[in-house]
Parts: sequence; structure tokens; C-alpha cells
Amino acid sequence: MAKKPEIIDESGDKYKYGFVTNIESDTVPKGLNEDIIRLISHKKNEPAWLLEKRLAAYRFWLNMKEPTWAKLSYDKINYQDLFYYAAPKQKAAPKSLNEVDPALLDTYNKLGIPLKEQEVLAGVVAVDAVFDSVSVATTYRAKLAEQGIVFCSMSEAVKNHPDLVQKYLGSVVPYTDNFFACLNSAVFTDGSFVYIPKGVKCPMELSTYFRINAKNTGQFERTLIVADEGSYVSYLEGCTAPQRDENQLHAAIVEIVVLKDAEVKYSTVQNWYPGDKDGKGGVYNFVTKRAACRGDNAKVSWTQVETGSAVTWKYPSCILQGDNSCGEFYSVAITNNRQQADTGTKMIHIGKNTRSKIISKGISTGFSNQTYRGLVKVAPNAFNARNYSQCDSLLIGSTCGSHTVPYVENRCRSAVLEHEATTSKISDEQLFYCKQRGIGEEEAVSLIVNGFCKEVMQQLPMEFAIEAAKLINISLTGSIG
Amino acid sequence: MGGLIQNIKLIGADLPKLEALREKGRNSFLSQGLPTAKTEAWKYTRVRELADDDFVMEETCGSDCSKEHSSCCCQGKCALPFDAYEIHFCDGKLREDHFHLPEGVQALPLIDAVAENETTAFLNKSFEMQNFPFAALNTAYLEQGVFLRVESGVCLDKPLAFIHHSHGGVKRFANLRNIVVLETGAQATLIEVYQYSGEAKSEYCNNIVNEIFIGRQAVLRHYKIQSEALKAVHIALNAVKVRENGLYESFCRQKGANLARQETHVVLQESGAEAVVNAVYMMNGWATLDTTTDIEHLAQNTRSNQLVKGVVGGQAKGVFQGKIHIAPNAVQTEGYQLHKALLLSDEAEVDVKPELEIFADDVKCSHGATCGELDAEQLFYLQSRGIGAEEARQMLIEAFVDESFQMIKDDNIRHWMKSF
Repeated sequence: MAKKPEIIDESGDKYKYGFVTNIESDTVPKGLNEDIIRLISHKKNEPAWLLEKRLAAYRFWLNMKEPTWAKLSYDKINYQDLFYYAAPKQKAAPKSLNEVDPALLDTYNKLGIPLKEQEVLAGVVAVDAVFDSVSVATTYRAKLAEQGIVFCSMSEAVKNHPDLVQKYLGSVVPYTDNFFACLNSAVFTDGSFVYIPKGVKCPMELSTYFRINAKNTGQFERTLIVADEGSYVSYLEGCTAPQRDENQLHAAIVEIVVLKDAEVKYSTVQNWYPGDKDGKGGVYNFVTKRAACRGDNAKVSWTQVETGSAVTWKYPSCILQGDNSCGEFYSVAITNNRQQADTGTKMIHIGKNTRSKIISKGISTGFSNQTYRGLVKVAPNAFNARNYSQCDSLLIGSTCGSHTVPYVENRCRSAVLEHEATTSKISDEQLFYCKQRGIGEEEAVSLIVNGFCKEVMQQLPMEFAIEAAKLINISLTGSIG
Repeated sequence: MGGLIQNIKLIGADLPKLEALREKGRNSFLSQGLPTAKTEAWKYTRVRELADDDFVMEETCGSDCSKEHSSCCCQGKCALPFDAYEIHFCDGKLREDHFHLPEGVQALPLIDAVAENETTAFLNKSFEMQNFPFAALNTAYLEQGVFLRVESGVCLDKPLAFIHHSHGGVKRFANLRNIVVLETGAQATLIEVYQYSGEAKSEYCNNIVNEIFIGRQAVLRHYKIQSEALKAVHIALNAVKVRENGLYESFCRQKGANLARQETHVVLQESGAEAVVNAVYMMNGWATLDTTTDIEHLAQNTRSNQLVKGVVGGQAKGVFQGKIHIAPNAVQTEGYQLHKALLLSDEAEVDVKPELEIFADDVKCSHGATCGELDAEQLFYLQSRGIGAEEARQMLIEAFVDESFQMIKDDNIRHWMKSF
């Protein structure tokens, strides 16, 4: 107990990923206009059809308004004051890890994903690391290729698999979708591309690591996952950014196409820099994530642990088109200090016998504010659709806020929809019980919170679950007292 | 025609304060306009009917006019099956100027109350016009309505009933404003009935605002039946403020109208204040019935409870939007909300938005929402015992809504509301 003041003092500086790597980076001039987009496209040697897509999105974006409906307040973003492309400078595209800049590899080691080590040791995860705007290295590629699995950066996919990219890119999130998605469609720089062929069960977990390093850059990555009939893949995504006083913008798109009988499991641990304890700096995280279950019996599952970002605006969604398709959303969001999170999901039931499940756990502490915003929509012909939603919020301290805004729209008689939400604090009895057994207050809180989130954490793959549990503890420090 | 802002002569033009308020209402409504799909508070309820531009705001004519009304009303139809102090309205106009009420209860036509400066602390004090376009419109036409005050410590022996009759004929748009004030320790039961006595397909619109002020330890039980004509529009706002240990308990049954919205906005201002807002809506045809609640807990130790049940058939649409707001420092509060809807046909629709907005940690809040059809197993169970399919359906529907009706404590009122 005596140590508590010290912990509170440290609370804003607990971000262990706040280092900056001094790598020469290749940026395009600040600002956004058609020339910049042409330049990005040119730098990446893109085909003409992609440039056309980008320009169409940009022109559409010019007439769009930034959305204001979310319960978020942040300084206006000056879109002309950002660098839209920052790539670590290199002579040529790396062929193997040996050619990757050692300083860069060192950064990833600090982050805890030793690429080299993984290549040598019998790891279970194949990693695609995205540094600022471009994908740096993709491990285990050869091994995956044996089974016909494509796991590479988006730029490579555009070159090597144009037919697949052209067919699916923008088919789940069209550029007209929303302000941030449209911006991303115009300026996206890199991201991961995954294609799992028919009937293939991906033998290992695929993973992408995103990091914003350069100053004043926006990161606009774009991920596309296509799971062909009968396939299965589990995909992990992690994010960090260095500690900076100014806000960084992150506007990503993740599109998932799930065909007949296929299953995709997508897990995220989002740990972008949340700003200091007075709310200075931090990442603005505006992400559009959507999965379309196009075929019968398709299944998609989103699991997210959100501990970072100053502002989060994120609604991973499922469009359940195929009959008997299934969508799941598991979320833990923890906000501390001045963080704001407006997050949730959309479940659109179109096919018959479609099922969806939403489990959302929110923990707010400090001066933070958190909103669950979700939509469950049942189309007239989605017979026997079934949804179960549960949103629980835990408030720690009297200066934070927790809000729940679910929308339920049902147009089908045989659909059964249930939604429940509760808000409470950690009960004094629970705390007392722990303390009585010699567990410190801070430890007790983290124990209780971990128990509160258990349902979601169980959904995470093993190595992520450990990291996520640690992150939760870090995020909670200084939250009581 | 100039839309819903029409230049008509209203009584009380010689009262400068009133005129200024009307002007404010007009400006507020004009700047907001009619709500659209983009208006978050009206996301699911379209008011296209009102944009048609052919509604008529009626002037109140002289004394002979009211006589004519009193003769046309079918007294028998609206009689309550229990004893009550009745105040009648015809097409949105008060039918009498004098009311027979017991001692300790003061009732005046709104205009008279304004003229006597009785309403200064209350008129337009329970809501912000910029959040309620129809209340702003109502303010622009302030004229009709009742000012009612139950004095400190008085308990009304019988319920007080506002009985509204609407006739067909012109597409009349009526604005009505009632103010109900319960002083410290007062207790009253208020009943509101809206029904029609003309053609079932009459088109008219009633826009009602009730401003209710509940004093310390005071209790108001408020029951409402909305059974307007099938093509009518009914928009009502109950704006309620509750002080220390006061209780506001309401139950609203909606079954008529083509478009109806019952909005209840309760502010629990002081510690110990409590609100119970229950409702049932049942409809067929093409109607849209909207139940919207917003409970603001501003003080510690406040409680609220809501139970809303809906049965939707035909091509109708049921809407429920409920919000519980808990202010910082409003600790040890409890807020519960439950909405259940039953869909009876393939073309029916239910849209629900229950919302929690919580800024304090020591609270217990929850909401639940479910939606589904009649349970096939239950139907089978009843049928296997020799009950016909249709009868079994009716039994299950009745049982479904009965849970809400059980919340009405007074037996007479409960039976009347159930069987209406």
C-alpha cells in the first residue's frame, strides 16, 4: 500500500513500446492531393487499375464529412498536415531476413517478436510485420506456400496475385462506405494479404504486427483475408506506436471474405500509444473492419483486446449472407487516463438460420470514457436468425464514464434476439475477500478484472492471451486509490 | 399553407410574456424542422404524414363554439367504470372552464393560469425546446390545456381524468399543454384517455405536452390509454421533474393511431427520487408505435425501473428507445430497463435502442431487450390439451403482456386498462 503513490505517478509512462527507432525513412511530401496519391502509387509500382481506384476514392472523399455521431471528442485532424507515406529506406525489396536493416529487426525484438529467432526456433506463428507504411518481412512464407496459402504484403499481392486482389479488394468495404474507409482506400500503403485455398486448414497462426514509427505519419494499412471453401485460418494482429506528444492517425481497413464452409478467426491486441496521463499525444484509431460470410455454413469470429489509443473508433462487423453462417464478436476494452473508446460491432443477418453472438466487456477507469455501440439487424428473410448480446461494463473510480448504445432492428418474425447489458463497479465484498487473503489491492483489482474478462480472453490464441493479460495489468496500474 | 407554422389567432395575445414564449417556440421549431431519418432521437419513427402540409391549426372561437362541442360528445362512450374527477377535451379544446374539484386542488385553464402568473415557475421549465421539435411547435401554439396544482399534503380521494375526444372532419392539428404540480407530500392519480368519436379513418394530429412537477415526498401515478383513430397521429411528451423522495409512476397503453409516439423524460433531481415507467403497445395494420424514455439520474440514491412490452402484427412497426443517464456523483443509484417484443406476422418490424449513459461508478444499472415470436412449444402444449390454435395464441399473447399490467396496483384501473 505504501508504494501506491509511486505507481500512480508512473501511470502515464507505463507504455513500454514508446521507443523510437532511428531509421532513415523515405517519405513523400506532407499533405494530400491527387499528385501525392499518384506518387504513392508510382513508388509502389502499382498497376493502373489500382491507381484509378485510389483516385476515385479520393474524389469521393473530398465531398464526405467526418462523422460526429460517436461519443468522442478530439482535436480536429488536419489531413493536410500528415505524411501519407513513410517507408524505411532500403535499396531493394528484401529477399530474406538477412537483408532487413538490423536496426529495424532490433525494434521488433524490443517489441517481443524476434523474427530471426522465430525463423530458427520451431515457432508456431508466421509473422508479417508492417512498419509505418510498408510490410517489412514475412516469415514462414515458403512453408505456407507448399499448401498453396498466400501470406504476403498487400503490395506483393497486387503484383503476384492481381486477379484475387482485384476480385475481392473493396468488395466488403467499398470506398463509399465511410469517411475513414474512403480515406484509406485513397492512400493505403500496405498491409497483409491472405488467401487460403479450398479445403486447406492453415497449419499455423498467421500474424501481423503493425507499428507507427515515423513522426507525423498516418498509418493506413489494408488487410484482406480470403478464405476459400472449406478452409480455416486463425489470424492475429498486434499494434504499437512510439510515444509522441502529437497525435498520430491510424485509419485501417480489414476485409474478410469467408466462402462456403470456411472459418476465419481474427484476433487483435491493440496497444497503440494511448497518450500520457493528461491526454497529450496518442494514436487516433479509426478502423473499419468487416467480414462477409458469403457462403453457407461460413463462420467468422472477431476477438479484440483494446488497451491502447487515445481515441478508438472501431466496429468489427459480420455480414451473414450465407445460410447457417455464424458471426461472433468478443471484445475487452480497457480505457484509463483520458482515453476514449467508441467500439462495438454490427451483425447483419441476411441468410436463414444465421447466428451471432456478442460478448463485450468494458472497463473504464481514470478520466476515460467508453461506449459500446452495436447493431443487430435481421432482414425479413433471415428465418430463425438468432442473436445473443451481452455487454458488461465495469467502472473503477467516479470520474470515468461507461455507455451502452445497442441498436436492434428486427424484421423477421422467427428471429430470436436477446440483448442484455449491465454496469457496475468492483464490489467491496470481492475486494475485501481478496485482501483478507493477503492479496494487495492493486493485485486484487487486476485479478477481478481478469476474471471479468475471462470469457473473452479464452477466445484468444495462447501466446496472445498471455500478452493480453499482461497488457490489462499494465493498463490498470494507478487505477485505484 | 406554410407547413405547420400557420398564422392563426390565439387567445392571450395581450399577454406579452406568453407572446414572447410562443415566438421562441416558433423560431425553435423553424430552426429544427421536422425530424428526419438523420435525427438520432427519431431514427426509427418517420413523420412523413406531417410533412404533407395540409394540416389545419384551428382557432378557438367564441363561447357558442364550445357549446356545440359539448353537445356532440357522446358522454356514454367515455364514461370511466370507476369514480373520478373528469375534465373533458374536445378536439384538443377544453370543454368547460370550471371544474368540480375538492379543496386543496386548484385547476385553471392554462391561459387563465398564465394571466394570473401561476405558471411562471413551470411553463416550459421541464424540457429544452431544442431537443424536442414537437414540444417547440407546441410552445408556438400555447393556448389550450389545464394548470393543475395539488396543494401540500393533499391526497386526492379519486383519480383525476383528462378525457380527450377527437372527431373526424378536417385534418386538424391540435396542440395541448397541461401543467401538473404536486406540492410537498401531495398524492394524486392522473388518468389520460385519448379516443375518437368520429370516423375510424379520421385523420388528425394531437400534439400533447404534459409538464409534471413532483415535490418532496409527493406521489403521482399516471395512467394513459392512447386509442386514437386508425389514421391519426399522436405525439406526446411527458416531461417530469421529481424532487427528494418523490415518486413518479406511469403506465401507458398504446393501441390506436397510425403514428404515435409516447416520450417520457424524467429528471430525478434530488436524492431518493424514484421513477417507474411501464408501457404496453399492441398493434396491427400499418401503424408505427414509438415508446421513448429518457431517465436522468442527477442525484444520489435515485431509482428507476422500466418495463415495456410490445406485440406487433400486420405490417406494423414497434419502436422502443430507452435511455438511462447517470450523472457524475449520482452514486448508489439503480436503473433497470427491460423491453420485450413479440412479432406476430412476417411483415412486422421491431426496432430497439436501449441506451445506458453512466458517469458514476457506484451504480447498479442494467437493460435487457428481447424479440421473438410465440413459442411453438407453448402453443403445442396448450393445443395438446384441447385448446384451439387461435385461442392458444390469444392466451399466450395475453399472458405475455399481463406481466406489465400487473405493475398497476389499483385493481379498478388495471382491469379497465386491460379490457379497454
